[in-house]
Amino acid sequence: MKENNMKIGKIILWIVLVLVAVIQLFPLIWLVDFSLGSSNEMFTNGLLIIPEKIRWDNYVKAFVDGNFLHYLRNSVLINTMAVVLVVIISIMAAFACQRMKWKLSGLVSTLLVMGMMIPIHATLLPNYKIYSTLHLTDTLWALLIPYVAFSLPQGMFLMTGFIQSLPKELEEAAVMDGCGIYRIVFQIVTPLLKPSIATVAIMTFLNNWNEFMMASTYLSTPTWKTLPFSVLEFTGEYSSNYAVQFAVMALTAAPAVIVYVILNKHITKGVAMGR
Amino acid sequence: MKKKVLATLLTAAMTASMFAGCGGDKGSAPASADTSSVAEEEADSKTDDSGAAKDDAAADAGSAGGDVTIKLFSNLPDRKNGQGLVEQTIIDEYMAENANVTIEVEALDEEAYKTKFKAYAMNGMPDVVSIWGQPAFLDEVLDAGVLAELNEEDYVDYGFIAGSLEGFKKDGKLYGLPRNTDIMLFYYNQKMFDDNGWKVPATTDDLLSLCEDIQAAGITPVAMDGGDGWPMACFLTDILVKVSGISYADIVSNAIATGDFTAPEIKQATEILVKFADAGMFQVGYDSQDYGTTMNLFTNGQAAMYCMGSWDASMALNEDIAPEIRDNIRAFTMPTVSGGKGGANDIAAWNGGGYAVSASSEVREEAIKFLNYMYQPDKLSKYGWENGVGMSAQDQTPYLTGSETELQKQIMDILKNATSVSGTPINDCGPSAFKTAIESEIQGVSNGSTSVDDFLAAIGAACK
Amino acid sequence: MKKLYSNKPVIFSLVLPGILVFLFAVLAPICLSVYYGFTDYSGMGEARLIGFSNYIDLFHDSAFGKSLQNSLLLAVGFICIQHPLAIIVAAVLDKLQGKAEGIFRCIYFIPNVISVAVIAYLWKFIYNPDFGLLNNIAKAFRHPGKINWLSQQNAIWSVLLVLIWHGFGWGMLIYYTGIKNIDPVLYEAASIDGASWWTTFFRITLPLMKPVIQINVTMAVISALKQMETVYLLTNGGPNNSTQFAANYLYQQAFKAFKYGYGNAIGVVFIIICVLATVALNTIFRDKQEA
Repeated sequence: MKENNMKIGKIILWIVLVLVAVIQLFPLIWLVDFSLGSSNEMFTNGLLIIPEKIRWDNYVKAFVDGNFLHYLRNSVLINTMAVVLVVIISIMAAFACQRMKWKLSGLVSTLLVMGMMIPIHATLLPNYKIYSTLHLTDTLWALLIPYVAFSLPQGMFLMTGFIQSLPKELEEAAVMDGCGIYRIVFQIVTPLLKPSIATVAIMTFLNNWNEFMMASTYLSTPTWKTLPFSVLEFTGEYSSNYAVQFAVMALTAAPAVIVYVILNKHITKGVAMGR
Repeated sequence: MKKKVLATLLTAAMTASMFAGCGGDKGSAPASADTSSVAEEEADSKTDDSGAAKDDAAADAGSAGGDVTIKLFSNLPDRKNGQGLVEQTIIDEYMAENANVTIEVEALDEEAYKTKFKAYAMNGMPDVVSIWGQPAFLDEVLDAGVLAELNEEDYVDYGFIAGSLEGFKKDGKLYGLPRNTDIMLFYYNQKMFDDNGWKVPATTDDLLSLCEDIQAAGITPVAMDGGDGWPMACFLTDILVKVSGISYADIVSNAIATGDFTAPEIKQATEILVKFADAGMFQVGYDSQDYGTTMNLFTNGQAAMYCMGSWDASMALNEDIAPEIRDNIRAFTMPTVSGGKGGANDIAAWNGGGYAVSASSEVREEAIKFLNYMYQPDKLSKYGWENGVGMSAQDQTPYLTGSETELQKQIMDILKNATSVSGTPINDCGPSAFKTAIESEIQGVSNGSTSVDDFLAAIGAACK
Repeated sequence: MKKLYSNKPVIFSLVLPGILVFLFAVLAPICLSVYYGFTDYSGMGEARLIGFSNYIDLFHDSAFGKSLQNSLLLAVGFICIQHPLAIIVAAVLDKLQGKAEGIFRCIYFIPNVISVAVIAYLWKFIYNPDFGLLNNIAKAFRHPGKINWLSQQNAIWSVLLVLIWHGFGWGMLIYYTGIKNIDPVLYEAASIDGASWWTTFFRITLPLMKPVIQINVTMAVISALKQMETVYLLTNGGPNNSTQFAANYLYQQAFKAFKYGYGNAIGVVFIIICVLATVALNTIFRDKQEA
């Protein structure tokens, strides 16, 4: 009796999990499926199609005309720079506010973390004005500055927590050995923070990798445009060819999905620590 | 373990950037392509100085004073068909003839274009921009002095149709040039009509019963881009022209000046629009679908008609559209309204889109030179005609080849036979706050969630 | 040690980059917004100070009211639909052992790493009444199809569905970690007592997850308020402002309707609302914890 119940329970459990997995994944399968057909095969009643002919040339078009490599390079470059800056700045500031003795430490710390409450899109209008006055529009800085600024509060918040939990003894020993503050921060504390750095890096990456609102407001030429532009520009260019549009969407989504699947365990852990 | 995480991440980032780096060099990347061409040009430009390059179109022939980069901001993202192809062809020709000039194009969809244009207007425009010679778009732009003045006398020989420059002027000064003569049309699939015995309607009642027949056959009668708002406002304009005839412009400008849209003609036209929508004339979900989706509905044979301006006549030459459809596209204008003052040949047409040069451009002279090049009668106008892009705003008679598409001939006849043309569509007649309001509110009134009276009151309020 | 740790120039050099970023990228734009919010600046030409009249207009602006209402609806949708589902799935997933657990967890999170640009366009196709996926699913169940998912009445729910789908993995993951942190001894004790899965879930899992739930609820409300990108691409606020959100609306007003000043006024109110909501939620939850 009890065993039967257990079995039924197991079955229900599997049904639930598989069902959710299908819901989460099926739209993406649908996307890839139709991206391999031709446009007029879209108008079907079936859920999926078996393309008459697998049309890899959709992907060739998407790859070339979608400016894929160039935009991917920009995305990787800008995001890596943002991650590095956020990590360094947040470690420095968090250390100064958490460990060092000065009157305003609490205030500065609160200010820097408070940025979390500010809706990023509310700064689109004034920032546009500022950047265009300073001739920063259409440069790398127009993306890098806001990306760093809006990931910093979270980085600062996490780093403060992590630094707090570090034992002070190591630093004390380092001071005895005659280390300066900078050496303590970068050679003693930073290595201890490795897992936290990974978390901050992952969160910053996830925050900024898919951002396009600021990019489409502040940028105009393809020089620094990021990966989402493959899709944004392409759909206008190929408005009468659905299959190619699907191909560019699948292609744009691919790098992040592939990297995620490969690093899935680590990213999961990072997100869990960060939340 | 934790060391491994970071190491993997870093390696991943590094390989990714290396991978991208190698690819970029191979040339799909505009940035690197630009630098190399600039370098070449620098070498070239040392050779010679002499006005605009002649016909010899050789890329190695250097010309006028140093390198120039002209930024062109365009509302034509599709560079392989229709108007976008025409624009790109001329750009390529110009760059081939003037080796020192590089033209960088930024192209966005119409809605996104207009938004970004206004952002640009705040601080520095690209050098050459697409504009619309209509108050909603141009008034505030001209007031702010963002566009460079053009010398009207330069264009005497360009064959512009009488009156077509008016919308681009302020206080008698010219600030832009029109590209097209736009006519509001119903495109239809003639083969589908013939096969089913359907006839081009003469009155709106005919149209309604035709739509019933088409629906009965399981086909969408009219594909309507209701998601964007402006095509529906143009559609309303078309109805209003049939209702009010030649007094259209007066009625509209009066309504906008007073903020009172209760004029019986406007009310009647809106009611007709609502009746059409209620009768299921448009595709399901028309009020949220975009331009491309709507057009594809027609070009894939899912809809019998498609309501849009004459610029889409290039559908007839678009290779992406199946030949059995593209060869059978024909057009008619809005049928007459019973009791309306507008006749069959009073049409909704205007000179809308065009180009202008930014006042703050650092290469203003070069930009104007390019603008003038585009408007040489055998460029925009001729290529446009050859690519089936409806009518230009210039005299096109020298380019009639006799091999035009049937659709082009029809459109030409419609314009030739017109007894009156409406001028600017209603949504573009007022300030941009009015435009924003009507293009959003018209969705509500057509889908039945706003009453006609509330609609008229709401758009009136936006004028104040 | 003490001297070293209170060396002013060193402290200053450490916090300076952070403060500069904060001043330049957060504080300066906010101040500029406050200034422009009091003007009738159209985006070009001269700005005239007009006092509070933008804010008075905003108070009567039904589209802005609709945006707030939509944010509220979205938050409720997240809290009442997404989160319960996420907790249940997380709890179920926790029961699974071995490789399958990791695989499911990975699959659930995949939509999360895909760009909103792709997601929004993809769902536009999924909702298409002529050939969209949902339409074809409806047809498979013998429904005639042609459902207008993005009509004025349905659109907000369709937007909600996309956001729930897209963010599901994130919520699930955080609950999942929370559950993993629960001491297994408690479950063992429950199973010895013969408690059913449901009893265990309601008596042990849920109560112990309270702090996690509180954080997630706060995040849900904030992200509902901040919503812009999906809506911008999926419906752009339409039809007729029925899916309008504050961020999208201020963008439209500034760059489409040429009311840059008004757009900034919306921005200021928007920031205030976000800050108040965060503070309020934190206060409520803190009080509860103490009680």
